[in-house]
Parts: sequence; structure tokens; C-alpha cells
Amino acid sequence: MSWTLLLAVEEGGGLFDINATLPLMAIQFLILAVVLNKVFYSPLGDAIDERDGYVNSSIVGAKEKLAKAEKIAQQYEQELAESRRQAQAIIAEAQAEAEKVASSQIAAAQQEAQANKEQVQKEIDAQKASAFEVLEGQVASLTQQMLDKLLSAA
Amino acid sequence: MLDTSYGLLSLERNSFAFFTQFKPWLRESSTIFPATFCANLKNGLEMIDLVPMSLLLAKLEVGEHFYWEIAGLKIHGQVFMTSWFVIALLLLFSVLATRKIERIPSGLQNFMEYGLEFIRDLAKGQIGEKEYRPWVPFVGTLFLFIFVSNWSGALLPWKLIHIPGGELAAPTNDINTTVALALLTSLAYFYAGFRKRGLGYFARYIEPTPILLPINILEDFTKPLSLSFRLFGNILADELVVAVLVLLVPLFVPLPVMILGLFTSAIQALIFATLAAVYIGEAIEGHGEEEHG
Repeated sequence: MSWTLLLAVEEGGGLFDINATLPLMAIQFLILAVVLNKVFYSPLGDAIDERDGYVNSSIVGAKEKLAKAEKIAQQYEQELAESRRQAQAIIAEAQAEAEKVASSQIAAAQQEAQANKEQVQKEIDAQKASAFEVLEGQVASLTQQMLDKLLSAA
Repeated sequence: MLDTSYGLLSLERNSFAFFTQFKPWLRESSTIFPATFCANLKNGLEMIDLVPMSLLLAKLEVGEHFYWEIAGLKIHGQVFMTSWFVIALLLLFSVLATRKIERIPSGLQNFMEYGLEFIRDLAKGQIGEKEYRPWVPFVGTLFLFIFVSNWSGALLPWKLIHIPGGELAAPTNDINTTVALALLTSLAYFYAGFRKRGLGYFARYIEPTPILLPINILEDFTKPLSLSFRLFGNILADELVVAVLVLLVPLFVPLPVMILGLFTSAIQALIFATLAAVYIGEAIEGHGEEEHG
């Protein structure tokens, strides 16, 4: 006997035996939903929302800081360029001034030299003139003496 | 509600027993379980052999319940026992995860937050960004309860714990549980519709055209029916298939089916929760001008 068979009968039962289990299960489920809302959905949901808010505000703050940093960097660049330009201007000015000073000094020196030269020339000329005068006097006297001598000798 | 009988078919060779029970209409369709069908040929009330229960390595019981009587009402004890286990598991995880909430989550909190985000996305996707928040607990509890129930039925060897009648299995294995959840879903979407649109909710029955009125009314009945029977059928069928395979080949062969069972269990939980959210979203949104505008 390879197959044995037992069939027992019990009142009620069955696959589709719907009874008070249904409403009780529904009530139990609703209670579970309420309790889970208290201990699970609400606290963890709040935590998630709070974190979302925190992350969002952090992102906004970071963006603000980034914008600020970029503005500062730009300002710095501007200032740097400004300073460079100023430095260039100062250098150019100094060079121009130095050149002016140098040229004016050169001009003055040249003028002085010229003046000296002219004065010396004048002195030379005067001495020359006086020397010529003296020479002319001497020539006249010598000529007179020669003339006298010649005349006396004759 | 239906005529029932119980069968224990034991294969003497390997001293396995096969407990089953059949509806008259199930008996007509011999293609479902040919082996058990043979056993029922006699429709018998005749005992031929009884294998000691302690020797049973695998057995299958369908439609047998462990009755409790509370205030004259009969309830299925085995369903409540396993559902309490599922509820306790959910509460334990919830309490442990929220005991010390940190901004940077770790461990269990992280895991449960992943679950919550999943549920929220599910509700948000079906109900809509504006209205989904009050429905997160309902849809989420549906998903978690069904999911944990299904997986507990698939993963835990409930059957090793002997109870006086019937056997322990997933709570969703019982039609009462699934019908309860489906009816709650119906109530939920009616409530959502009335709260949002008042009596204007009835306008959806004659939209887009009054010709569809009977079909629209019919939908309110088919929705809970399909919800409950889909879940019930899938879980019961999965457990039956696994049990039959274990009965025939106790080692290794049932494993692929068990893994498939885990997959279908998870999918069924997702489907139930998603459909509940869809129905609620539908009731809130309506078929009217809001959709087109």
C-alpha cells in the first residue's frame, strides 16, 4: 500500500473562511499604522526633512560664500591691476622728472660753461687788446727812437 | 462559507504526509494538483493510515485553522500569532532605529531611512507632491506589513512550531487579512476623495460620460476584490508550490522556487501598496478638469 489516505472532517474552516479575523485584523492594522506613525514615520520623516533643510541651507550658504569669495577675488584683482598701473605711472613720472632734472641741469651746466667760455674769451680779447695797445705804444716809441736814431745819425 | 474537507495524504515510502483540503470546484480542476487530486478521489472520510505527526518532515495544510473563540466570535489564531510577530518585528526595528536620531545616519537608522524614503517616493509618485504626506503612514504600513509578513512566511520555518490546529504561515496567507487590508484601502480612498472634494466626489462616477456609470460603480467592487485575491492567491500559491516541492524532493530542488517566492512576495507587497496609493491619488485628483487644466 503505497498511498494512504486520511480525510478528516471538521466543522467550519476552509480557504475562504471569513470570520471575525477580518475586522480584528483591520483594527489591528490601523493601530499598527498609528503606532508606526508615532515611532517610525514621524520621527524619521522629521529627521529626513530637517536634514534636507540643513543641506539646502548649507548649499545656499556655501553658494553665498562662493559668490562673496569670487567678488573679493575680483576686487583683489582689480586692486592689483590698479596698483600695477599706479606703480607704472609713478615710475614713468619719476623717470620723466629725472630726465627733466637731468636735462635742465645739463642745460644749466652748458649755459654756465658757455658763460665762462664767453667771459674767458672776453678777458682774452681784452688782454689781447691791451697787449696790442701796449705793443702799439712800444711800436710807436721804438719807431720814434729808430727814427730819432736814424735822423741823428744822418 | 464553502463546503470543505480535509485530506492527509502520506507517502509511505518516505513517510511524508500531505495535508490538504479542497473545495468542490477545486476538485473539478485536476490539473492544479494531480497528486492530491488522486487522493481525493474517494472524497473520503475513511482513514487508512496515520503517520505520527512527529515524523512529518513536510506537510501541507490548506484551509485548516487554529480557532480561537473570543466573545463567541471565531477567529484564526495562527494568523494573529504570526501577525503579532510581524508587528513586533516592525515595532522593534522602528524603535531601535529612532532611539538615537542623528543628522548623519548610520546603521539601522540609515536602513530604516532608506525604507522610509522608498515609501515616501512611492506615495509621492502616485498621490502627488502636494497631498502625499498624510498618506505615508497608511501606504507605508501596508507595504511594510505585507512585505514583512510575506518574507516571514517565506524565510522562517514557521511549520516547525506545532499548534493544535492548522499551521503557522504568513498572515497574508489568510483571506481575512488580505480582505481586511483591501477594504481598508477602499475606505481610505473614499475618505480621501470625500475629504478633498466633498460630495463632488460622486461626479467621478459619471466621468468622462454617464454611460460609464455602471462600470465606474463596478470598479469600487473590483478594486478590493482584485487587491485581496491577488495578494492572497500569490502568497498561498507560493507556499503551496514550495510545500509540494519539499514534499517531493526535500533537498535543494525547492531552493529556486523559494528564491522566486521571495521575489514574488516582495513584488506583491509593492503592488499592493502602489495600487493603494494609486487609488487614493485617483480619488484625490479626480478625472475632472484639474487633470486637463
